[in-house]
Amino acid sequence: MKKILNAPEDYVDEMLAGLVAAHPEHYRLHGESGKVVARAVPGKAGKVGIVTGGGSGHLPVFTGYVGAGLLDACAIGDVFSSPSAEQMADAIRAADSGAGVLRLYGNYGGDVMNFDMAGDLVEFDDIACTTVLLADDVASAPPEEAEKRRGVAGMVYAFKIAGAAAEEGRDLDAVTAVARKAADACRSIGVALGPCTVPQAGRPTFEIAEDEIEMGMGIHGEPGVWRGKLRPADEIAGEMMDRLLADMRPGSGDRVSVMVNSLGATPPEELYILYNVVRARLESAGAAIVMPLVGRYATSMEMSGVSFTLCRLDPETEALLKAPCDCAFWRVG
Amino acid sequence: MTIDRVAVLAGIDRVTAAMERDFEMLNAADGALGDGDLGVTMTRGMRAIVRDAEALPDDLGMAFLACARAFTRSSGSSYGTLLAKGVMAVAKATKGRVEIAPGEVPALAGAARDAMQALGKAELGGKTVLDSLDAVVAATTGKSDPGELADAAARAVDEALDAFRDKPATVGRARIFGERSVGMDDPGMLAMAGIVKALVDRESEEGP
Repeated sequence: MKKILNAPEDYVDEMLAGLVAAHPEHYRLHGESGKVVARAVPGKAGKVGIVTGGGSGHLPVFTGYVGAGLLDACAIGDVFSSPSAEQMADAIRAADSGAGVLRLYGNYGGDVMNFDMAGDLVEFDDIACTTVLLADDVASAPPEEAEKRRGVAGMVYAFKIAGAAAEEGRDLDAVTAVARKAADACRSIGVALGPCTVPQAGRPTFEIAEDEIEMGMGIHGEPGVWRGKLRPADEIAGEMMDRLLADMRPGSGDRVSVMVNSLGATPPEELYILYNVVRARLESAGAAIVMPLVGRYATSMEMSGVSFTLCRLDPETEALLKAPCDCAFWRVG
Repeated sequence: MTIDRVAVLAGIDRVTAAMERDFEMLNAADGALGDGDLGVTMTRGMRAIVRDAEALPDDLGMAFLACARAFTRSSGSSYGTLLAKGVMAVAKATKGRVEIAPGEVPALAGAARDAMQALGKAELGGKTVLDSLDAVVAATTGKSDPGELADAAARAVDEALDAFRDKPATVGRARIFGERSVGMDDPGMLAMAGIVKALVDRESEEGP
């Protein structure tokens, strides 16, 4: 393992300390655990709160998207480990200003259990909570079992769209409904070229030959749909788009935002090489591309690889996607 | 004989000692089917409960609630959260009470099982901690004599391990190992066996 760190067990605490120190205008730590990040300047009173949470190792997901027009608070666990229910309850308390809190996060067993439990804990504080899960990874289950899919980069769209709706002053039911619409409109797939190393485990999350790739691999190294020889960028992008388009079936006149995302180590140059095929395929399907996002939006530490996310928009979600937001990693407007 | 704050404190001490004793065994069992930290989860969680045990109130509901919260603070492990959820269910059922009769224990164990099943969205029969608890409920329902209850509960968790050892896990994290889990004890069931035997003070098969 070659990583820049001090003690592996201090990895997350030191990362959070640095994040908050570097961006005090965006982030502050909340509560006793040291692992809950909230907006430096809380949203206005009466605004619906939005919280997320999950393991570390995915920056800018999850913590990075705390900010104006985005999330209010986030509970963060060790690398690839769920935060505790108490931390999530602290995040919910930090996000609440009396109008209730939406829990918006990815579909992973541990996170679901802990966020449900956190809801029990804040019942004593009289905070109304709703839940929307992201389950956008098409490689993780077939369409007929779509509710079992894992949540990946599509959550960035859900954070943005729900965050803008909350900022407008909509109530908890309305924010939850539009978050659900955004979550349901996202489809993602990833491809991995090389693994990452979890600091406390000290070894790569999976092994893969120098000349191999794995299509559909999850962001924690969950098995994908096939493993085979590395092939040209156009072929990789073509198969990823085949799989996404087969699942989403965008048609003539549809408006779609697309994210071409690095899982960590893959450079922006290669993302732009892939974007050519993404654009051509969407246009030949008759869809118009809205606000393409190309860069590092949801990562898996230093994993080498990319993910594509398509988010089908309607006039409501398109306006919310284009509304202003501001955090240390992403600014719109 | 009733169960009050003093009895709860004694039970906490026995479970804590049992988890420290089983630390390596639980880590090893979990390592075969998962990430190998169940002993860590259990000892951390029990130490968190012990740290605040002196301050536990006489109201058993509030005392159990404090235990559940202490456990959830200690880690984000799914197993720990499931256990805490079970304890929360017991807390809700005993709110405002300063003592409970032994004859109420089977129903409380059933409430814990149901709450954990709802949180884990799992079926019975999948070779999980739910099957251990279900066996305890089945073996103790209708009993009110403390000695008989304790014997039945301790026997039930061992019999559940025996009954499921040669079946594949079908829910929970161990399910991805499928047939490879045949012949292995489920780590969560092993931990529950240790917890139950410590709670009823039946640490060896022969009884005290």
